Amino acid sequence: MSPSTLGDGARTSRAASPNPLLRRILVTLALLGAVVGLEFGFDTLVPDVALQQLVLFALVNVVVALSLNVINGMAGQFSIGHAGFVGIGAYTAAIVAGHIHKALGVDDILFSNSFIVMPAAILAAGGVAAIFGLVVGLPSLRLRGDYLAIVTLGFAEIFRLVIATAQTGGDVEGPIAKFLAYLGGQNGYAGPDRNGVPQYAGPFWIFGAAVVAVIIAWRLKFSGWGRALRALREDEIATASVGVDPTRYKVTSFVIAATGAGVAGAMLASMRNGNPTVQPDQFTFAYSFDAITMVILGGSGSVSGAIVGGVFVTFTVKMIEQLQRFESVQALQAAYPSLDLNALRMVVYASVLIGLMILRPEGIFGEREIIRRKPRQRVSHAPPEPLPARTEAEANPESETGPLTGKAEK
Amino acid sequence: MAMKILNALITGLAQGSMIALVALGYTMVYGILKLINFAHSEVFMMGAFLGFFGITALGGKDAPLVAGVGGTLLAMFFAGLLGMLVERIAYAPLRTRGKGKANTRITPLVTALGMSVLLQNLAQLLFTAQYRGYPQLLPIEDTRKVIFISAFSVMIALQFLVHKTWMGKAMRALSVNIEAARLMGIRTSRVISITFITGSVLAALGAVLYCLDQSQVYPTMGVVIGTRAFVAAVIGGIGNIPGAMLGGLLIGIIGEMTKLTAYSGLQDVLVFTALIAVLLVKPTGLLGKASIEKV
Amino acid sequence: MSALDLQGVTKTFGGLRAVGGVTFKVPERSIFGLIGPNGAGKTTVFNLVTGVYKPDSGSIRFAGEELSVLKPAQIARRGVARTFQNIRLFGQLTVLENVLVACENRRRSGLLSALLRSPSFFRDEAEMQRRALELLAIFDLDKLADETSTSLSYGNQRRLEIARAMMLEPKILLLDEPAAGMNYGEAEGLKKQIRWLRDRFDLTVILVEHNMQVVMGVCEEIHVLDHGETIAHGTPEEIRKNPKVLAAYLGEETPDEAASAAAAEEEAAT
Repeated sequence: MSPSTLGDGARTSRAASPNPLLRRILVTLALLGAVVGLEFGFDTLVPDVALQQLVLFALVNVVVALSLNVINGMAGQFSIGHAGFVGIGAYTAAIVAGHIHKALGVDDILFSNSFIVMPAAILAAGGVAAIFGLVVGLPSLRLRGDYLAIVTLGFAEIFRLVIATAQTGGDVEGPIAKFLAYLGGQNGYAGPDRNGVPQYAGPFWIFGAAVVAVIIAWRLKFSGWGRALRALREDEIATASVGVDPTRYKVTSFVIAATGAGVAGAMLASMRNGNPTVQPDQFTFAYSFDAITMVILGGSGSVSGAIVGGVFVTFTVKMIEQLQRFESVQALQAAYPSLDLNALRMVVYASVLIGLMILRPEGIFGEREIIRRKPRQRVSHAPPEPLPARTEAEANPESETGPLTGKAEK
Repeated sequence: MAMKILNALITGLAQGSMIALVALGYTMVYGILKLINFAHSEVFMMGAFLGFFGITALGGKDAPLVAGVGGTLLAMFFAGLLGMLVERIAYAPLRTRGKGKANTRITPLVTALGMSVLLQNLAQLLFTAQYRGYPQLLPIEDTRKVIFISAFSVMIALQFLVHKTWMGKAMRALSVNIEAARLMGIRTSRVISITFITGSVLAALGAVLYCLDQSQVYPTMGVVIGTRAFVAAVIGGIGNIPGAMLGGLLIGIIGEMTKLTAYSGLQDVLVFTALIAVLLVKPTGLLGKASIEKV
Repeated sequence: MSALDLQGVTKTFGGLRAVGGVTFKVPERSIFGLIGPNGAGKTTVFNLVTGVYKPDSGSIRFAGEELSVLKPAQIARRGVARTFQNIRLFGQLTVLENVLVACENRRRSGLLSALLRSPSFFRDEAEMQRRALELLAIFDLDKLADETSTSLSYGNQRRLEIARAMMLEPKILLLDEPAAGMNYGEAEGLKKQIRWLRDRFDLTVILVEHNMQVVMGVCEEIHVLDHGETIAHGTPEEIRKNPKVLAAYLGEETPDEAASAAAAEEEAAT
């Protein structure tokens, strides 16, 4: 029995390392050192600000993909409104961070203060998103499959539309209307004084969140809980027949996924050099679609797949944007001034996506992982009492070759 | 006030019957393939553009009858072709690949969404993002009558197709068990193509009617109407043809009624709330039947 | 004391009365057969007992507790395990994982300790795995533990399903057509295995089966359904002679014919 930090252990009983606790502490320290190092070395490592943005955004997307993977990949439920949870997390975190920042009374965004602001923002965002996750997850008591997908979509759209269409100008009455007006409608929320949400989430927090998310996702998958969830995906009735309550597992997976999305939203809202306002338009169906793409493209049910999918989708979208620098593309634009390059980009993206999904319907990784877990070293023990040999005939197959017995195979 | 409500009711019915036409496409495909065809809304949008070009080419306002009928037929024809193409490219290959694995069940959903993004941006690329006014062929009251009458006759025709013809029988067989239907000698891929064509043709008809009423056509129009139509199909009980009609009418009326209140901006919020409420009370939609899973 | 007690259980689907007022008691530690022609409602009875369907009326009592108000997972946890007519394994999971899922409800350590990979998590996993491998060894599947269950042969899939059910440590085991698709030799083996399981694990076995060779050979008591109604109940000897049963099976094989056919086969085989 060796507990190891990156949780390979679920079903292994590997040769015990000398001191598992020591190993755990060392790995934790190494990871912590790495994210702290990134906080201060990120500018040197990645000098280009645009690229910095992209890397951070990709990591946030990895968290989004990992959380969605719990519902869509492992539990096999269709959630197509994940952007709603990210949005709820983003708004919550923005409000909490904005107010704490104001209360701190320091205008500068200090790394030391981020340890006051970010934990509060993350907890609040995750908590509120979890509550909404429960609210959306509960209908799964009654709905299955595509209907559930539609409810998630409906929920995400209601969330977005309620905020986007809220009356913001002039006199609004009632606490709910006032709150909605406070959120800034279509223009978005920009902190309590409307001068931007404080951007405390630097590389330390965002890399840190991604690492923690990966560890949690991995451990969930390779635990009895993840196993039960995958069984549920295969066959709900059979899962119930062995004593696993599908409803409980589904609702829990919803809550976990929503929490993860909420945390991702918190990162998105406070991302350094990111968009200082949280706007409803960030959380349209298009973003939910991107999240689904990350999960399915990477390989639904695969943790590695969600990571690769998150990075891949973020960078592909950007890379096609970079194509505009090419001369041939510029020449094309010169020849056809009305050419909509953004539309062209999306056409290419969608075509590539469809092509990839047809070539590999199970995604890049399928359900597998990059790191192959070592085959189990089973302790060999004598079988207690084997089932009685099936028949004498079966025990000596040679004696039974008559054409009537139909015993050819095996 | 009563007059206003009555007017809203009439407009709502016209709007609703148009939404129902689009909803039928969602429902028919879902009934057979258990797939939410997200590209359907974009076929609707393409139908609107095709109708626009057809009507303009055939003389537009100068020859309302020829242009109207001819343009609509053209739009229906090409939309049908487009619908078939969508199915062949994005869905058909997945029916054989990755079959039987539980973690590939969501894949068609991704290609469907991909197709929708593709078509929308293709329209943006080809027709630019500008809004175009539809030629006003008829006075608005007459347009609504035309919408209402054509939508209902089409729905009756569809009921006839599904319940009285060989093809309809084949479609229903597929919706029960696609493998068994294949074994009974039904050419399933052909039936599926025809289902997509039918749905797309109806969407194109709905699109032209919608534009004659609303007089604008633009590449992102599919999202708004598509979403409403899709919700209509689900409220009625997805996979159920009369359900789609009922859902469409309901959505149309809800939409127009909201416009009478101070919360006209919340129309889509209300539509989604209605959807969730219906699903929570009756998980399979208003007319949908709960299927008993055979164990 | 009976292991399972059904009183006037009725279930209709639409207009069809699948099970109409069925009443029977299953003696503890018996091997009990539930037979009848196709569409007689046998599998429906299983589905009612395991909570997949809720009865319209009547009561199903197990160890003094009413089952019809419980959810399928709760019933399973009380100790009622089953297999399915058309084998329902968790396809993409390995053989070992299939069995492990069945002891998930018994796990003492929670989700949090799985996330923290606490010592109790490893203890539980190791213990569960040990038990699962032991059980797989009994069913001669331990060497296939890391194969995905879809890659198994038909017979192995049937055995794995029973192994999975046994992981629940059931008091009652419901087997739905376990002999389906088996040849004579395999069916003979199955008879031995059923008896052995009952003796070794001290449980009650209820069997839905068409194969009369198995039913008549292994069951101690038999209940016969036709069109959802009880038509006979008794020992294999009594059932074999019951004219109502013969009438119900008319057009199909009668139990007697089946038995004699089996006997003939037996002769042919030796």
